[in-house]
Amino acid sequence: MRRGAASFAILLLLASLVFAQGFGDKPPVEMAPVGNVQVKAGGSKNVTLDFRIGSEYHINSHTPKSPLLIPTVLKLSGPEQVTVADLKYPAGQDVSFPFSPDEKLSVYSGEFTVEAVLKTATNVPAGTYPITGTLRFQACDHSACYPPKNLPVQFQVTVVK
Amino acid sequence: MKRNALVFVALLVAILAMLASGKYLDRARKHGPIKLVGDVQGVPAPDFILPSLDGRKVKLSDFRGKAVLLNFWATWCPPCKVEMPWFEDLQKQYAQDGLVVLGVAMDDSEPATIAKFANELGVNYPVLLGTDKVSDDYGDVQYLPTTFYIARDGTIVDKMTGLLDRKDIENAVKKTLGTTYKPASSPLDQADASVKEAVAAKATPPKDATR
Repeated sequence: MRRGAASFAILLLLASLVFAQGFGDKPPVEMAPVGNVQVKAGGSKNVTLDFRIGSEYHINSHTPKSPLLIPTVLKLSGPEQVTVADLKYPAGQDVSFPFSPDEKLSVYSGEFTVEAVLKTATNVPAGTYPITGTLRFQACDHSACYPPKNLPVQFQVTVVK
Repeated sequence: MKRNALVFVALLVAILAMLASGKYLDRARKHGPIKLVGDVQGVPAPDFILPSLDGRKVKLSDFRGKAVLLNFWATWCPPCKVEMPWFEDLQKQYAQDGLVVLGVAMDDSEPATIAKFANELGVNYPVLLGTDKVSDDYGDVQYLPTTFYIARDGTIVDKMTGLLDRKDIENAVKKTLGTTYKPASSPLDQADASVKEAVAAKATPPKDATR
């Protein structure tokens, strides 16, 4: 009897795991942690920000082929002494999808990297400074699309003399 | 011993069946176009009044007695673009049977941009400007396209998300057209024949009164 109850409990546990896997709500885009970013006062530094898109999704590139499509845009801001001088986006992949086989869309899928060029003022005191912002993207899968989302982006910059 | 083996086999079969169903559901969620949500079927469609692109106020319940195809879409949704000309064709084909197609644009674009987009796709059915409230009322419509098929009596027949085959859409339209609507009866309907005749006679002016 006790063994039967134990088997039933295991069964329930497995069932919940299976269903949790089936209906999991993972965000379509995630950001990899940014390592230690060090920059000399008065200098500049290129920081690579790595993003991973869920295998079933794609998002529009920074330069989609139609003005109606929502581009992927990274917005960063930091303290006055640490500025984001430039952002370099990768080119999109031109892909046609089952929902529109005759049309190619410029998209990111899998992993992509945006490079941020940081510049520091010469008079910036040594220390750690936060850079924050958002990655705005709009994801679709093979049959439907999700509204635009903003993924929070955050990392630290250590300024040394 | 034999019993243990039987229990083990039964457990194994049950686990495999659940794994298979989990995989199926996961695949359906990711790639499957048809997602019928059972719990909205038969539920009254939430009423709304939304502005249309041509400046009218459109109230859903004004279409009681018609079969309504209510399609949520957006200009940034490429799969939505595929369905819209089909809806236009279906509207023309089944309008005389009582089909009404309503598009709800869940878009931040300007109405002029939405109108241009719809015109380029040859859409002539009413396009309404969606709101967060309507999206919430319809179960937080996040996944586009999402289409509700609303019976003549105002209840939801089906909810379908993602791009479907045209055949699936037409089948849902036919199913919705097949619904019936009986307007709520007035007290007069329940009265006996003599009362009805008396009321009718009172309502009809005497012949010489028209002279």
